[in-house]
Amino acid sequence: MAQDYSHVKTILATDCGSTTTKAILIEKEGEEYRLKVRGEAPTTVEKPAEDVTRGVLNAVGEVEELSGRTLLKKVKVLHSGKGIKGGTDVYLSTSSAGGGLQMMVAGVVKSMTGESAQRAALGAGAIVMDVLASNDGRLGHEKIEAIRRLRPDMILLSGGIDGGTISHVVELAELIGAADPKPRFGSGYDLPVIYAGNKDARGNVKGSLEAKTDLYVVDNIRPVLERENLGPARHEIHNLFMEHVMAQAPGYSKLMEWTDEPIMPTPGAVGEIIQTIASTYGIEAIGVDIGGATTDVFSVFGGVFNRTVSANLGMSYSVSNVVAETGLPNIMRWVPFSVDERAIRDRVRNKMIRPTTIPQTLEDLIVEQAIAREALRLAFEQHKSLAVGLKGIQQQRTISDAFAQTATGGTLVNMMNLDMLVGSGGALSHAPRRAQAGLMLIDGFMPECVTFLAVDSIFMMPQLGVLSKVMPKAATQVFDRDCLVRLGSCVAPVGSGKEGSNCLHIEADFPGLGHISEDVKLGEMRLLPLPVGEKVRAKLDPARGFDLGAGKGDAREVTLEGGVVGVVLDCRGRPFQIPEDETKRVNAITGWLQNLDIYPKVF
Amino acid sequence: MAHAYTPGLKVLGKTIIRKERILPLAGEVLVKKGDTVKAEDIVARTFLPGNVETVNVANSLGLPPEEVPKFMVKQEGDAVEEGEVIAEMKQFFGLYSSRAISPVKGSIETVSSITGQIIVREPPNPVVMDAYVDGKVVEVHGKEGVTVETTGTFIQGIFGIGGETQGEIAVVTDSSERVLADEDITEECAGKIIVGGSLVTAAALKKAIQLGVKGVIVGGFHDWDLKSFLGFDLGVAITGHENLGVTLVITEGFGDMAMAEATFNLLKAREGLQASINGATQIRAGVIRPEIIVPHTEKGKLAAGAGEEGSNLEIGTRVRAIREPFFGKLGEVTSLPVELQILESEAKVRVLGVKFDDGAEEVIPRANVEIIEAG
Amino acid sequence: MRKLVVICVVITGALLISGCQEIDTEVSAVTVMDAPNDSGGGVVVAWPAPAGVKVDSFAIERLDPETGKYTPLTTVKGDETFLEDTGLTPNADYSYRVVANLADGKTTAVGEGAGRPTGEWFNFNRLNVLVGVVSFVVLVLVFISMARGGKELFVRKIAGLEAVDEAIGRATEMGKPILFVSGLGDASDIATIAAMTILAKVARKTAEYETPLIVPCRDPIVMMVEKEMVREAYTEVGRPDAFEEDSVFYVTDSQFGYVAAVDGIMLRERPATNFYMGAFYAESLILAETGAQTGAIQIAGTDRVTQFPFFITACDYTLMGEELYAATAYLGRDPLMLGSLKGQDWAKAVILVILIVGAILIALTGLGEVDTTWFARLFETVS
Repeated sequence: MAQDYSHVKTILATDCGSTTTKAILIEKEGEEYRLKVRGEAPTTVEKPAEDVTRGVLNAVGEVEELSGRTLLKKVKVLHSGKGIKGGTDVYLSTSSAGGGLQMMVAGVVKSMTGESAQRAALGAGAIVMDVLASNDGRLGHEKIEAIRRLRPDMILLSGGIDGGTISHVVELAELIGAADPKPRFGSGYDLPVIYAGNKDARGNVKGSLEAKTDLYVVDNIRPVLERENLGPARHEIHNLFMEHVMAQAPGYSKLMEWTDEPIMPTPGAVGEIIQTIASTYGIEAIGVDIGGATTDVFSVFGGVFNRTVSANLGMSYSVSNVVAETGLPNIMRWVPFSVDERAIRDRVRNKMIRPTTIPQTLEDLIVEQAIAREALRLAFEQHKSLAVGLKGIQQQRTISDAFAQTATGGTLVNMMNLDMLVGSGGALSHAPRRAQAGLMLIDGFMPECVTFLAVDSIFMMPQLGVLSKVMPKAATQVFDRDCLVRLGSCVAPVGSGKEGSNCLHIEADFPGLGHISEDVKLGEMRLLPLPVGEKVRAKLDPARGFDLGAGKGDAREVTLEGGVVGVVLDCRGRPFQIPEDETKRVNAITGWLQNLDIYPKVF
Repeated sequence: MAHAYTPGLKVLGKTIIRKERILPLAGEVLVKKGDTVKAEDIVARTFLPGNVETVNVANSLGLPPEEVPKFMVKQEGDAVEEGEVIAEMKQFFGLYSSRAISPVKGSIETVSSITGQIIVREPPNPVVMDAYVDGKVVEVHGKEGVTVETTGTFIQGIFGIGGETQGEIAVVTDSSERVLADEDITEECAGKIIVGGSLVTAAALKKAIQLGVKGVIVGGFHDWDLKSFLGFDLGVAITGHENLGVTLVITEGFGDMAMAEATFNLLKAREGLQASINGATQIRAGVIRPEIIVPHTEKGKLAAGAGEEGSNLEIGTRVRAIREPFFGKLGEVTSLPVELQILESEAKVRVLGVKFDDGAEEVIPRANVEIIEAG
Repeated sequence: MRKLVVICVVITGALLISGCQEIDTEVSAVTVMDAPNDSGGGVVVAWPAPAGVKVDSFAIERLDPETGKYTPLTTVKGDETFLEDTGLTPNADYSYRVVANLADGKTTAVGEGAGRPTGEWFNFNRLNVLVGVVSFVVLVLVFISMARGGKELFVRKIAGLEAVDEAIGRATEMGKPILFVSGLGDASDIATIAAMTILAKVARKTAEYETPLIVPCRDPIVMMVEKEMVREAYTEVGRPDAFEEDSVFYVTDSQFGYVAAVDGIMLRERPATNFYMGAFYAESLILAETGAQTGAIQIAGTDRVTQFPFFITACDYTLMGEELYAATAYLGRDPLMLGSLKGQDWAKAVILVILIVGAILIALTGLGEVDTTWFARLFETVS
């Protein structure tokens, strides 16, 4: 849409989440865009209201009240114009109500076109329910059974390079046709299927699917094995999300009329802002959103964007699943006291069936944050396994490769290069102390070298994401000034050594602390207070066997940035290992918690 | 977080209950509007498309895929028996022939000249839908199903396992606070839905299955027992399809939790009546809670479709703490301070003062109580 | 497993005991003893040096049982006092007479003696070999039991084998066949046998992916075996219908005739993935280069050292020497194979350490007065 946004002074953006609808108002002050106010109201997709706009109006109403600017006209968002007082220049929205966009994808080889299709769908903001592939080990009728049981909102079919296999793709198309799938919402329309595979198979795929489904054909997502072309498929997913999935949900047709740009799926929008930030500042970034039911991880490494969603890792509805997947011992290893396993199990289940309760006692909070660490860790593991290079590529070799033959498809996630780690979602944003959020991020992701940590306190990344599509500069300005709560830099040398040996020597002039020259031992964590906005140059000298990016044992000068927490020195070694001996473990954890001032009480 | 959480689980002595009985696919409705139906009566039926099997005809005949249609003995849509020849190729004037046979009974769905495969679909599976509750058909939804209406007691549980079942209600513990142990379950319980107190032990549940008890309704259940009972650690709370021989409905939560007095008394009052219960639970968007329906014609005021937004926290409201450290305790609201307060965990939230039934007075977050309703 | 170890120990013990049994000898001036550590073909004849005279040499005579006379056997120098006589019949009696030739030309009889050569159960001269073999067996058994017990044995990632799935996937996506060349060796060549086990794995995958497989063969016996292996692989994954009889075929046994045929297949069929596994000679680069030109992913594996450079540069992945043999264990993850692979690796590591220590000791000997012969003796035949 080639609209001119240069004159824009006010921007209203809403995000219709599954439980709350959040609205933000951004205004131009001088040359800069800043967040003015925000408001929220319960989402009204389900009974009794069954109209998403009710929630939007309530949230915008709150913004109107707080800002004093007229934004509503009767039951509609007011756009500014000649002779109109107030109103907004631009209105944008995202949505994840009704469980978001749920897709099934299919490809010929699971690790090749299957994976590309999965990346295309995830990047567009969908939850991938299942990946069908010719080699997934399932028989035809099992695949059909899966399609019928899962009832996706849409299916993305890919497979074969251009000029490649036809029979495999057609077989998949025939199976989808035989399943005669029905969409999740309503039976009044045919299930949308996007075909993004071998262009030579288009005719045959049309033959098998056109009569039974609503078929859309786009460019191949893998025209050759050496290159992925996810754009057209993602674009079509967005269009269909609007036309079909959203149009079926109550009230969305009205909302779509109000907005100036198409409504985006919330995770897709978060992906947009992360990409915008990474490319604007030229950094490698990871974003995570830990919700009640799902945890999303976004990453940009070497300019390649990846998103994964762990549909069953979350802090309320899915909390039992986190425990089931990681096992109770893995959770309890983060807790500095012993708890009866049976009691904990019941406690976790009760959190699941009554998701909105909040921890009252400190012990309860510690256990809940331990679960959050594991949820983050598991979600990140999943992310690493999907954020990989392309597989099946021909390689060029020289004789020097004789003993170093690397395989293709390695993970793109390189923690050594990570510059920024942004967390959001209840468990991180609403942690009583910011340091708790910081430590959860560190324990969950295990950043290496020097990484800047931040949290999105009010979860406005979705709105900024949709804004970044049309006004990237405004989006980055607001993101920078108003969205992030800066926690501070984390320094973590990579390597392992003997317990209690030296790990890091740091030398720097800290405002308030003066010149410091300290040794940190392996297994220790320390906090150096540094206020928000302050930066110091520090000389970091890792001990022999430890790496801070300059090579093992080599010193390096870096800029450390302050935040509400400060600079965290994490000398627990990478790969991180928690002491197995119970007393040692409790002592170690107690030490970390004390040094970083995580909890008000010591155990 | 500022809102008090009242999941609004309904506990209604007498109300109008409507149950939609919809087929997964359009089919045939067997009853008319206005008909009186019993719980086990079939109200609608349909046929689900059968499973499919694939046969690679191209390879069994040694042909390129595009030539497969030429040698098909059966065409798309034809019915086939198991072992029947579906494609045949004669060579040397019929001296030799290679054949492809159907692995199942069914019909030919597609013949593909691209993959060389044919798809055989098995005969459709009949699916029937019963009325689930005794009542009256009040609406017919085209060919898809009906709505059955009944008047009676309606109770929602918080978590359940197992699907729909019916049986006579039998209260087997003398109080809502007693644990339902295996000795409480006798031969007489067979075919009934038994109501216990605060907890059902794994042993008791096993005995219930042995004796053929249809359903168990209790206050609480240990997660540990749930794991051993199901045989795996339930991750995502979507239940109802388990086939364990008994339907379990938990009304309060996990652990040893006295069943709410109102619920217990209500069930006691309905002892001997025929009840329909369903353990199906889905705790995520589009939440589904387990339910207990006891149709009856006793006189009494009809409760509104209560349990929704209506209920509010007021001083004197009966509440239950639903999180540690007072988990499961019942009491009355004594104060509702407006300003946010800081908890031990340092969270800043809205709180309420509560006087528990044992006399203790405490301040707890509003999010951590639920209102106990009685209808 | 434990039983095996016990049996080994018992046998070893029995052998040692049997070896220690003394053979009876006559008390005489000349003693004739059974020679130790042999199979019963030798005796040791020993005599005392006559006192007070200077002996030039000793003449040893053996009694011929047929004639009943002593016949000269051999003559030894005057400072020697024993002789080992070999090539005798086990368990027969032999008598010897020793005559001393004095320096002054006279002769004097030293004495006579008789004895019987018997075979021993155990050759102590080879004790070091036994120790080596037993420790190797124990090592392997320990690793097998570890693997069986579910312990994760670390085996270095072999990129070439990891890439098999990927290579087959690539062919599937491209809708092109897979070419498998199992080398020019015959069925008795270890490299060919290793290639066959890899072929079985590849065939299982192609069956699953429904991708055509082409296996041209140079040896008719290899062809028969490979055809059966491929058929079995297809049946195993439940796709016997997808097996094509003609996918494994015989070409010619002429080296370059074969290569020309395979190159032709590459150019006509344009396979997306080529495997070269087994024994290769001069043709390696012709094959690999043609394959690279057609744009295929190529995985090679051979134990012919001279061909490594060609494969490494022209192929995507190359299995070198032992990696090819290890493929079976690596792919199958069978505890038996994995355990012996691990045991062999450790044995190799031990040998490597011994070589290094030996080299250092030799260097030290060269430098000064360090006596290192004790180390060398550990590995010699013990006498």
